[in-house]
Amino acid sequence: MYSSVVRLQNTFGYFTTVVFAVAAVIAFSDLFSPRTPSVGVLKATNVQVVRGRPHYYSSKKEEYAIIKFSLDADLSSLFTWNTKQLFVYVTAEWPSAGGSSGSGQNATNQAVIWDSIITAPSSDHLANLGPVAMKKLRRSAEGKSIDPSRGKLTLKNQRPKYQITHPSGKLAEQDDVVLRLHYNVQPWVGLLTWNQDVDLWNWKTLRNNLSKKFTLPAIKKKKATEEKKAGK
Amino acid sequence: MAEQLLEQARDIFEGQIDFEGQKLVELLVNVALTLVGAVAFLVGYFLQDIKLAVYIGLIGTAAVFLLAVPPWPFYNRHPVKWLPVGGVTPPANLVVDDKMFR
Repeated sequence: MYSSVVRLQNTFGYFTTVVFAVAAVIAFSDLFSPRTPSVGVLKATNVQVVRGRPHYYSSKKEEYAIIKFSLDADLSSLFTWNTKQLFVYVTAEWPSAGGSSGSGQNATNQAVIWDSIITAPSSDHLANLGPVAMKKLRRSAEGKSIDPSRGKLTLKNQRPKYQITHPSGKLAEQDDVVLRLHYNVQPWVGLLTWNQDVDLWNWKTLRNNLSKKFTLPAIKKKKATEEKKAGK
Repeated sequence: MAEQLLEQARDIFEGQIDFEGQKLVELLVNVALTLVGAVAFLVGYFLQDIKLAVYIGLIGTAAVFLLAVPPWPFYNRHPVKWLPVGGVTPPANLVVDDKMFR
């Protein structure tokens, strides 16, 4: 520590150690904040299956399911000072045609129909929004360092973000489809965590996150063209 | 003249401090940075504000750099007392390498 350069190096070296230690403690402190997420309602409200093309120039036709749903969930306990953003997503799941006995086949099909990124006020500047929506978002949490109310989700007859299909292209009249709510907590420092299947001390599992089983309908006929064909 | 200026500039840049000062600065840096880290975490945890914790940590660290890096006068309060140059006659019977001096 005899010259300025040496003092600069030593101080910076110890600074990095302190930063690492503080980050580790912050990550560890997550374990002490209880997580009690709950789902009030999750149900499919309107289901359609239509035929369509995967992209504009494709000659292949596939069946696409459009599943509208209602969701009422309280994920506010997931927002702590170390939460950067929360990724919430709803999947549709149905058993594979080959069943669980089919070798080399997945027992369950799973496809995301809707997702959303909920930023914490500390990461609002990272949100992918236009200037007006960004202003609104920032104003909604003015003066707040965390905003658990953003974890309260109420969706009524929400249109899905993604129309789902299957590699086989067949989806109509599929039985035993369920919707499932998932979340992924993305912290500032620490591990990514998903909704876990068992209670881990302070972290309670997400109960009631499955909808009732429902059946996908038959393909929706385009009435106008059908009638035309019938008329000819 | 130019040489003198160069010498002065080199002294300022090197910023040497004495042995007691080195001991002191090491202690100060370790204690102060640890304290900054602890305060940053505790304030952040109890106010549930991660940005505040980061700012406390960074500003605190900048302050520690300012305290530790420049050769402040209080790091130079115990200068080493060298023997004067040629001021003392060596003892009469001084022997170096089997050679008698004087």
